[in-house]
Amino acid sequence: MEKLLLRNIGIADSHTLAVYQSRGGYQSWEKVVRDMKPAELIDEVKASGLRGRGGAGFPTGMKWSFVPKDSPKPKYLVCNADESEPGTFKDRLLIEQDPHAIIEGTLIAAYGIQSHTAFIYIRGELVAGAKILERAVEEAARAGFIGKNIFGSGFDLDVILHRGAGAYICGEETALLSSLEGGRGWPKVKPPFPATHGLFGCPTVVNNVETLAALPWIIERGAAAYAAMGTEKSKGTKLFSVSGHISRPGVYEVEMGYPFKKFLEDDCGGVPNGRKLKGVIPGGGSMPVLRPEEIEKVNLDYESVQAAGSMLGSGGVIVMDETTCMVRAASNIARFYAHESCGQCSPCREGCHWMEKIFHRIEHGEGQAGDLDLVLNISGNIMGNTICPFGDAAAMPAAAFIKKYRAEFEAHIAEKRCTVRTE
Amino acid sequence: MDPVKIIIDGKEVTTTKGKTVIQAAADAGVAIPHYCYHPKLSIAGNCRMCLVEIEKMPKLQIACNTQVAEGMGVLTQSPKVLAVRKAVLEFLLINHPVDCPICDQAGECQLQNYYMEHNREASRFEVGKQHDRKKTIFGPNVIFDGERCIKCTRCVRFCQEITKTDELAVINRGDHSTIALFNDSVLDNPLSANVVDICPVGALTDRDFRFKVRVWYLQKTPSVCPGCSTGCNISVETYQNRIARFKPRINEAVNSHWICDEGRYCFHELTGGERLTTPLIRQEGGLVPTTWENALHAVLAGLRSAKAAAGVLSGRNTNEEAFLFAKLMKKLAPGSPLEVCYQERELNETQKILMSPDRAPNFRGARDMGVGANGGYGSWLEKLLAGDFSAAYIVGEDLLGSNGAGERLRAALQKLSFLVVQDIRLSETAKLAHVVLPATHFGEKEGTYTNRKGRLQKLNAAVIAPEGALQDWQIFLRLLDLAEEKLSYSTPSQIFQALAEEVALYQGISYATIGDQGIQLGGGGVEQS
Ligand SMILES: Cc1cc2nc3c(=O)[nH]c(=O)nc-3n(C[C@H](O)[C@H](O)[C@H](O)COP(=O)(O)O)c2cc1C
Ligand code: SF4
Ligand code: SF4
Ligand code: SF4
Ligand code: FES
Repeated sequence: MEKLLLRNIGIADSHTLAVYQSRGGYQSWEKVVRDMKPAELIDEVKASGLRGRGGAGFPTGMKWSFVPKDSPKPKYLVCNADESEPGTFKDRLLIEQDPHAIIEGTLIAAYGIQSHTAFIYIRGELVAGAKILERAVEEAARAGFIGKNIFGSGFDLDVILHRGAGAYICGEETALLSSLEGGRGWPKVKPPFPATHGLFGCPTVVNNVETLAALPWIIERGAAAYAAMGTEKSKGTKLFSVSGHISRPGVYEVEMGYPFKKFLEDDCGGVPNGRKLKGVIPGGGSMPVLRPEEIEKVNLDYESVQAAGSMLGSGGVIVMDETTCMVRAASNIARFYAHESCGQCSPCREGCHWMEKIFHRIEHGEGQAGDLDLVLNISGNIMGNTICPFGDAAAMPAAAFIKKYRAEFEAHIAEKRCTVRTE
Repeated sequence: MDPVKIIIDGKEVTTTKGKTVIQAAADAGVAIPHYCYHPKLSIAGNCRMCLVEIEKMPKLQIACNTQVAEGMGVLTQSPKVLAVRKAVLEFLLINHPVDCPICDQAGECQLQNYYMEHNREASRFEVGKQHDRKKTIFGPNVIFDGERCIKCTRCVRFCQEITKTDELAVINRGDHSTIALFNDSVLDNPLSANVVDICPVGALTDRDFRFKVRVWYLQKTPSVCPGCSTGCNISVETYQNRIARFKPRINEAVNSHWICDEGRYCFHELTGGERLTTPLIRQEGGLVPTTWENALHAVLAGLRSAKAAAGVLSGRNTNEEAFLFAKLMKKLAPGSPLEVCYQERELNETQKILMSPDRAPNFRGARDMGVGANGGYGSWLEKLLAGDFSAAYIVGEDLLGSNGAGERLRAALQKLSFLVVQDIRLSETAKLAHVVLPATHFGEKEGTYTNRKGRLQKLNAAVIAPEGALQDWQIFLRLLDLAEEKLSYSTPSQIFQALAEEVALYQGISYATIGDQGIQLGGGGVEQS
């Protein structure tokens, strides 16, 4: 398969403007600015079928079209480079090795919504990435791709890199905007939505790094070429960050609709040491875990994974072999969400910690008879009742672990110890 | 204002476009439980207590942030809604200390109330509560208990949006989130104690009131704040015939939901100290107790024989009292200059949100009744200092205590051939009087006040005056009676009816229609110097 997103990865000095340009970089940007009207660009992106890679899979062109064209307020494009989803490290690869693709995509998207100021919000811990991106932005500005009167078109566009301060929740788009505004990283109550009331109350689009990085290719080769790949509803290619008990962990680019099992076994080399697969989280820590039998017929596209009862999410694939204690895994994930809840709304603030405490006590041999149903009930009380999807992201995996590995949890409670791990 | 029809629990309700479901429901008499929502603050949507079912929407929606739409079906009592309320309450209580027996909020706590209404089950939480600070002083009037806080952020939003002073902030994350003073600030803005009123639980309590009375023992009397001429609507809350606290009463035409701290605590100064319970008369060697009979005759004689008498009322006297006072002085000493005590001070921007520059809640009403119109209190005082008056009748105000003129004023008062002081305490001014008449304060009397903007409002007696003291209006009536001005009224309402006939601006108003929200007099607001 031809690589779209990873086409520059692995090439020496791929992060420099010279190398990026030598491979056709910024020609799409020039084409957009010189030859395309914003509406044409939006139509092209719609036609490509590109969907947001930040987790929710929302159609990108449609998202842009929600930005009011007649608003007297400034409009903002924000590149979400906060990547913190457990098991997800695909954006980081692009940031460090192909920053200009992200910048070019950011410029194209900004033009689409006629934004003259774009922000790249990068996760605080990505120190090297921030330096690389900063240098890349400077290079692009010096080359005239960013700034005033770009390519003589009269279009002005600034790009501002902003480093986060290390909160997972700031990846949620409205928390990101609150943080960018200088406030607490608190998700905003919706409606209103960012498309009309985003950054500083102005129309704003937030797109994921990978979403934006796909744009130069789509412009270069045309929407039809992109839409020719993938399935009916999931077009193009997607990055997967594979980690855990797998022979060849790393970032893979796969055409949408690629069989999950084949991917794990052939592309990633399967579970090492002759052990058996016990479970796999397909889309980052927020998504329900799947049992081996559940992935038999699953393909890597939004619809297929959803039909199996999980979600493609960020494409963070976490593989667990038979030696994994699922109680410990669940407890670990619950601890993450309890720690990262922003604390704004009651069900998530209180519920995440409650679930964590129960998982913790089960893990440490102090579980009680009703604990599993209690967690299921708490998780149900959080789901759908919170300000932002973080609540669901904490509740869904908790419930999935219990539902799918209930016997193991029960054994843990009954025997007051782990029955899986041998050490 | 486009009308919109929605259906709440099967009942059709007409409301207006732009309203939220919680507002439309409240207007229709359907109370949707809520914590973070407050009609005067921005929508925070964080407590999730107001989740309701909206037909055709897969998820429950928060009523506080959902705008009504034509034909929208809202369910506030469906099984799903009842279940989520229970769940939210359980969440709010897991880290809550439930120390109601020692919590000042008990009895007026929304956590208690909603729990009794919507949950009533034992907690399933048994894994160790999150602890927090129990008594952090936020400011001179407010103290914080972090364990009881439900993080609704009402207090934070109040300081951001109403006073714009930003003293409070949320700090930390997850279930460590808590409220704290921002940087080194102190919660001492002029409206600070309102955060206690809007805190739905016992997290913020009133340092002045706390631990004094359990709230269910309080008797509540709707009244008007005596602090200044804004005339904020208050509830005077009493226990064993003593004022325990003021609470704001909502009146959108006056104070919205708020009162200022100065007003809130002014009852201490206005009601404290040792009360006079018998009239005093000056004899060789000083003031001695006497009978009302003697005292009133002495007043009559003293004022009648004065060459140049003058009178001053407190800005806290009612319209009815001012009306009678004007009549009385006209009868006893026609032409004598009458004034209402009125002084202004500079206010800062935050004070100006609510407060008026004076401490005279009824200066305007008194002027309407004919007490005033002599060039103002300042020039009246000048005349007094210049020795233009030979006798004075001072009601309800300690001129010496409240005026910078100090020794000059003392000398001027001492020079008077006759001074009568009517007050609740033996003030510095009263000590110079020839006759002292024990009277009542704002909390003991019924009547009306007219605020700075010309709104007529009702004062109600919240406590009973001590034996021996008389209402100011009773004193005036008895003096009028002795002066052979036969008046047939014996209650404030009858006096009001009389003044409504005589005073043009008040014509046609009946006492009964003033109600708890007052009436705007014709003409609207005027600025007073
Ligand atoms: C708790 C939470 C964390 C998120 N973290 C990220 C993130 O790190 N990066 C990201 O691009 N999107 C993240 N998202 C999704 C964003 O809210 C948003 O949907 C996305 O950035 C939109 O971009 P897209 O349309 O290109 O996918 C997160 C969402 C939630 C609820
Ligand atoms: S769901 Fe969790 S993370 Fe999202 S706003 Fe509520 S408390 Fe914050
Ligand atoms: S102190 Fe009271 S008003 Fe402030 S957030 Fe806590 S519960 Fe709400
Ligand atoms: S503003 Fe005036 S009337 Fe209102 S509470 Fe304060 S002192 Fe009382
Ligand atoms: S009142 Fe609606 S969420 Fe709190």
